[in-house]
Amino acid sequence: MTVEADKTTASTRATGQGGRVALDLAIRYGFLLLLAGLVLFFSVFAEGFAGPRSAVFIFQSVAITGILALGVTFTLVVGGFDLSIGSVATSSMMLAAYMMVVLEQGAGATILACLVMGALIGVVNGILIVRFKVPDLLATLGMMFLLVGLQRIPTEGRSISVGMTLPDGETAAGAFSPAFLTMGRHRFDLFLDDLVPAPVVFLIVIGVLVWCFLELTRHGRLMYAVGSNARAAALTGTNVNGYKVLAYAISGVLASVGGLLLAARLGRGDIASGTNLLLDAVAAALIGFAVLGAAKPNAFGTAMGALFVGILLQGLTMMNAPYYTQDFIKGAVLVVALVFTFALSARRARGGG
Amino acid sequence: MTRTTRRTALGLIAAAFTAATGGIATAQDMPPPFDDPGEVRIALVRYLSTGDFFQAYLSGVERQAEALGVDLRIFDSRQDAALQADMVDQAIALGVDGIIIQHGLTESMREAAQRAVDAGIKVVAFDVNVENAAIPQIEQSDYLLGELALEQAIRDNGTEWDAGYVYVPGIAPLDRRHAAWEDIKAANPGIREVAQMGTLDNPIANSNANQARSVLQANPTISVFFAPYNEFAKGVKIAVDEAGLTPDISIYSADVSTADIAAMREPDSAWKATVATNPAVVGEVSVRALAIMLAGGDPGAQVVVPPTLITQAMLNDMDITNMETLSERLPQFAHADVAMTDWMPLPPR
Repeated sequence: MTVEADKTTASTRATGQGGRVALDLAIRYGFLLLLAGLVLFFSVFAEGFAGPRSAVFIFQSVAITGILALGVTFTLVVGGFDLSIGSVATSSMMLAAYMMVVLEQGAGATILACLVMGALIGVVNGILIVRFKVPDLLATLGMMFLLVGLQRIPTEGRSISVGMTLPDGETAAGAFSPAFLTMGRHRFDLFLDDLVPAPVVFLIVIGVLVWCFLELTRHGRLMYAVGSNARAAALTGTNVNGYKVLAYAISGVLASVGGLLLAARLGRGDIASGTNLLLDAVAAALIGFAVLGAAKPNAFGTAMGALFVGILLQGLTMMNAPYYTQDFIKGAVLVVALVFTFALSARRARGGG
Repeated sequence: MTRTTRRTALGLIAAAFTAATGGIATAQDMPPPFDDPGEVRIALVRYLSTGDFFQAYLSGVERQAEALGVDLRIFDSRQDAALQADMVDQAIALGVDGIIIQHGLTESMREAAQRAVDAGIKVVAFDVNVENAAIPQIEQSDYLLGELALEQAIRDNGTEWDAGYVYVPGIAPLDRRHAAWEDIKAANPGIREVAQMGTLDNPIANSNANQARSVLQANPTISVFFAPYNEFAKGVKIAVDEAGLTPDISIYSADVSTADIAAMREPDSAWKATVATNPAVVGEVSVRALAIMLAGGDPGAQVVVPPTLITQAMLNDMDITNMETLSERLPQFAHADVAMTDWMPLPPR
């Protein structure tokens, strides 16, 4: 009797362990499997999906949101959130157009001005949060509204294009510098001529830099420490506020890089562009939590998240799905990814503990 | 794949239907590549898509594509200029035979359009100048739109009147309508513009109503308002009605929607006439121009869809209540005889 009972317990434990291993694998590789499955599915069913050009377009379509998403990742790492990235990017685009078209500056001065603006906005966000104790969501929401208005004041709400009529009735004399436009439009040769657009290279380089910074440097690890337990980090002598402000400043700078690329692609300071940037970038960063079962913000996950959304949208477009179903599916993917992250990882933590 | 076959099937059914009902052409009569229309794939790459006008445009594109039996893909960038350029690349990757670019920004579309042309794809552009000689422009003539409305104003009111004018500079279609206004004023010195106003603040009609109220108060001599955009006209009409000036003022505008028809048909409405191009017809013309190019023809560098004058009297006499009855009862509004060939199948009406 006792022997039999022992046997049953043993066998239950074995299946329990098997289940836990399966769950562990699901959490770890489930998302990447899903990504591979998606690619396979579209390659079979969406004509023209498989191919180098199609792959490049996916990267291109996520390049700018991906860069913004990497910025959000920083603020998520220190336990914050940045809602102002979308409007920082559009402000940077408007500033770039204004510098060149109205103030007749060159590419170098323009890029510098935009990056400085992004950093300044990030620092202001950070100070609002650490010094004035404004909750992160509210501080960056306020900054978002402020920027949406501010970026339109110089031109009285008009888009900035070459040869535009200024509010005082004169015609703008400046033009977009060719070097600046190259940043967004140049295509590098890779196997095929003119294959890889420059923004994709920006995304990959920035992605690798961010990954190295967060995973390999002491500063990156301290940022994670600040995010997981700010008090503990402070007690070990970490400059918590400093790292928080730094995270928002990096987020601002990356957002302004996104805006520069957008301006270079459009060749115009267009007030209607960039409205989706915030939501798409946030979605990519949050989906990134689920990749490799990290359950925390991470650069690789963010890049995969952005890619996932890009592949999904490209495939659906090629299968002629209208845009509202795409929004619906994007939302569904985000919800599923969040379930992956929070519910499954929590169960694993409980089971494992 | 099911989607493709269904579309093809739909197209074939539509073609068969046209043939059965005494239509002009069947697949066999059409020149290559339309002898096998299911194999022809075209893409519509859109910049603007929300609003009555753009929905009607899309329905026109879909109807004409169905009548031809071709496979239509719709790319919708929702006012994201960078995405719209990506979508042209997507369409190229998909291997489409033809692309219709609907609106967009010259700066962002010029290069994408050139890439499509380089890839051997036939391209037409509606209401966006992509600065490419190989790409015909489909246009609704904004100048004619303004001119027809003003000619009606002169027929109704003579050539001696004080006018209020609604205009926002820097918007391309409004600028073209403005040119017609300048020309009419120059030709008729008795027509005096005593006030100019206009804003595109949302909600547009409401913001313009506020401005128009002040203008009417300050300029009691105004008897005609030229408001060459239907949201402007709506705003002016609200102000005129509120000021109790309904019988004294006539409004002339451009564009039309079901709501506008109702406003024009109110008893003693100040809104006397509007001039409009049917967006669905513009959609049909876009597809036909592209089809002509695919068959090796040349639709011309500019394909202009002529506008139709719609007066209050016409609406009342023919009892037109909405866009559908407008198309039914004003045949010139339902079909434009441009970009036509002897083999071109037309959508059933």
